[in-house]
Amino acid sequence: MTATTLTSFSHARRGPIMSPGWARLLAIFILLALWEIGARFYADPLFLCPPSQAIGALGHVLSDPKIRTAIEVTILEVSTAFAMSVSIGMIIGLAVGLHGFTKQSILPVILMLYATPQATILPLFVLIFGIGPAAKIAFGVSHGIFPVIVTTVAGVQNLRPQLLRAAHSMGANRWQVFTSIIFPHMIPSFFTGMRLGMTAVLLGVLLAELYVSTAGIGFYTRLFAESFSPPDLFALISVLAAIAVTLNELCRIAERHFRRWNEG
Amino acid sequence: MRPKLGLGQRFIQLGVLILILVAWYIGTLPGHINPLLLPPPAPVFKDFWQLVTNSNIWPDLWVTVHEWLVAVAIAAVAGCSLGYIISRSGYAVRVFDPLLAGIYSIPAILLFPLYLLFFGLGSGSKIAIGTTIAFFPVVLNTIAGLANVDKAYIRAAQSMGANDFQLFWSVMLPAAFPVVLTGLRLGCIIAFLAILGGETISSLAGLGHRIVSLAENMESAQMFANIVFAVLMAFIINGVVSFAEARGRRGFQ
Amino acid sequence: MTMSLLDTKQGISHDPRRKMEQNVNRGEAIIKVEGVSQAFGAEGDPRRVIALESATLDIARGELLSLIGPSGCGKSTLLNIIGGLTTPTTGRVTIDGHLVKGPSPQKVAYVFQENTLFPWRTVIDNVKLGMAFQGVAKGEREERARHSLETVGLVDFAQHYPAQLSGGMKQRVQLARALGLQTEVLLMDEPFAALDEQTRMVLGEDLSVLLARTGKTIIFVTHSLVEAVFLADRVAVLTARPGKIKKIIDIEEPHPRKSQFMTSSKLSNLRNELYELLHDEIRKTMTHQPAEAGAGA
Repeated sequence: MTATTLTSFSHARRGPIMSPGWARLLAIFILLALWEIGARFYADPLFLCPPSQAIGALGHVLSDPKIRTAIEVTILEVSTAFAMSVSIGMIIGLAVGLHGFTKQSILPVILMLYATPQATILPLFVLIFGIGPAAKIAFGVSHGIFPVIVTTVAGVQNLRPQLLRAAHSMGANRWQVFTSIIFPHMIPSFFTGMRLGMTAVLLGVLLAELYVSTAGIGFYTRLFAESFSPPDLFALISVLAAIAVTLNELCRIAERHFRRWNEG
Repeated sequence: MRPKLGLGQRFIQLGVLILILVAWYIGTLPGHINPLLLPPPAPVFKDFWQLVTNSNIWPDLWVTVHEWLVAVAIAAVAGCSLGYIISRSGYAVRVFDPLLAGIYSIPAILLFPLYLLFFGLGSGSKIAIGTTIAFFPVVLNTIAGLANVDKAYIRAAQSMGANDFQLFWSVMLPAAFPVVLTGLRLGCIIAFLAILGGETISSLAGLGHRIVSLAENMESAQMFANIVFAVLMAFIINGVVSFAEARGRRGFQ
Repeated sequence: MTMSLLDTKQGISHDPRRKMEQNVNRGEAIIKVEGVSQAFGAEGDPRRVIALESATLDIARGELLSLIGPSGCGKSTLLNIIGGLTTPTTGRVTIDGHLVKGPSPQKVAYVFQENTLFPWRTVIDNVKLGMAFQGVAKGEREERARHSLETVGLVDFAQHYPAQLSGGMKQRVQLARALGLQTEVLLMDEPFAALDEQTRMVLGEDLSVLLARTGKTIIFVTHSLVEAVFLADRVAVLTARPGKIKKIIDIEEPHPRKSQFMTSSKLSNLRNELYELLHDEIRKTMTHQPAEAGAGA
């Protein structure tokens, strides 16, 4: 008995029937099957549809040119907001992080802004930028820029002073110090910042898209919900979720790749 | 993590804040920024003061806080229980931990339209989105805490004859507690943000709802006053939850 | 503060069990290790490691046996098998004629190399928790815990948390926790490995005095040659992986050992003999073994 309790909390157990990866797929499959059965026989079709119907609806949701445009616009917004967050965030992060004065004075203000619930200023963004992509991009940037700034500052901060001293002792100038020490040193945290930034940008853009219900994704989710057509709603949301997961995963792979490169 | 701040640094920070206020004042002098987009500070502060004193915000505040409390309670109970069950077996941890972490990487706000369909425009959909978002850090940290208890502790306890209950109560739980507490704190904070987000997208009452309707009526000064109020609420919740975490940590040593 | 491991006035002679143990014949074997082997990894797996191969050993009642060998030779594995924390692949261990199937807290107490004091409990609560696990009645715990803290000279630190103690003090609390269980057998897995040499020498001397008095049966894993010779009645030398018992050396020197023994030529001769025995084995581990000490160092 005691021997089993020793292993029951540990990862060292041997000899399960199937590898964790297959078991995970099986678990997902079982969940989908339960959902299918539950939705088919017990749920009100006005609210919940079985996954098979959602998959069936995928075709006509994706073939509707207006919905396709809305999805494309969303992807464009996410990409623009992401590019802006990363580039502007990097510059601000470097400017703030490389000087003691700005780090002490401006970083706390940035951290405070980072901690504010941005959802409360979403209506303001729409007032300023209108209901088009501009508002969504701006709102995405307002989410994505902070993690990029904070990780950039952290990356600069972790720089070992011995390295800088060594470089200075060998006569490196400012630009050489930046290109050959600060920049390579920042690469891992840069990719971490990109990954965190992507998660935040997705949240910001999708929040804004859902808020503006007169056009784009927000319009269709509202339309599908109000017309009680859950298959369409599920299909649209799955597409967006798939896009989000793909983008997140791309950033994660990039991060892992560069971390390994740097530490290996 | 942050070094102790000297008086000089405090002054610098204060200076930056004053600079922002001055910029706000000058920027909103007549002829500069459209007061609809950014009203001058004076009316905003006046409206904020009225907001706090004349108490008509309390019903909306209560709606939001109520949604938050319910969401956090459900997420805490469900997350801790499921985390405990999964952590009982190393195999289950390897099956479900990546699965839960994977789902966590989907922006949960996408589920909000579904929740609107299921639970309506009222509090139900906000509670649902808050619960969904808070659930993941709680369950993931519970698993991380319980599954990563130093094996030396477990071995020592078992060598001294601890039974399963003693092992859990006297060793696993206190060892995992700080990690679980961090999950609960994260859950509390992001649940509040998600509920505000939900109220902003579509709602009947609550702090987010107030801001949206004031925005639609172009009552800029009042809207800013409400935004300030909501931001302060978020900071207060942040502070209270972090304080509770620190206390809980200390209480358990 | 005092570095003494024991308070001489409050020695363990108050222990009610002591009388009984004094009468025990030292020659009789209390622990029998019979053909014990331990492999990690499934059969046929290329990463399978045989940590220990058919170890056979009798340990007499009241004796202190040191296990010494190159790292990864299965010393700790053997100790864990005797303590019932690891089930051997083949072979068996009996204590007092009873087959070891799992931890036997009534008979065996452990002192681990790593700090296994629970950081969220005070020193005395750590000692009492061990007794709670073992099943000591609640009313008895406080007094017994104080007594064993007195034995190691740390009663003044009863209300401290482990984080407030030095490394040597933590190890003494671990010893107090083990003594508080009042078991006949004490298993010590490199208990002083993490300490600096000076501290471990003084602790070693104190331990020798303490153990001579308690008459406990002790198995002591170490990789320090001097420590093994200084403390043990017998030293069992293990070979490089797969660990086998290469030779058992008798150290004929009465307990408690004095500090003079540490500097005696007898000790250095024995130490040299051990070194001769170990030298080739250590070379083998350095050339034939991957860096990870893996299954059980």
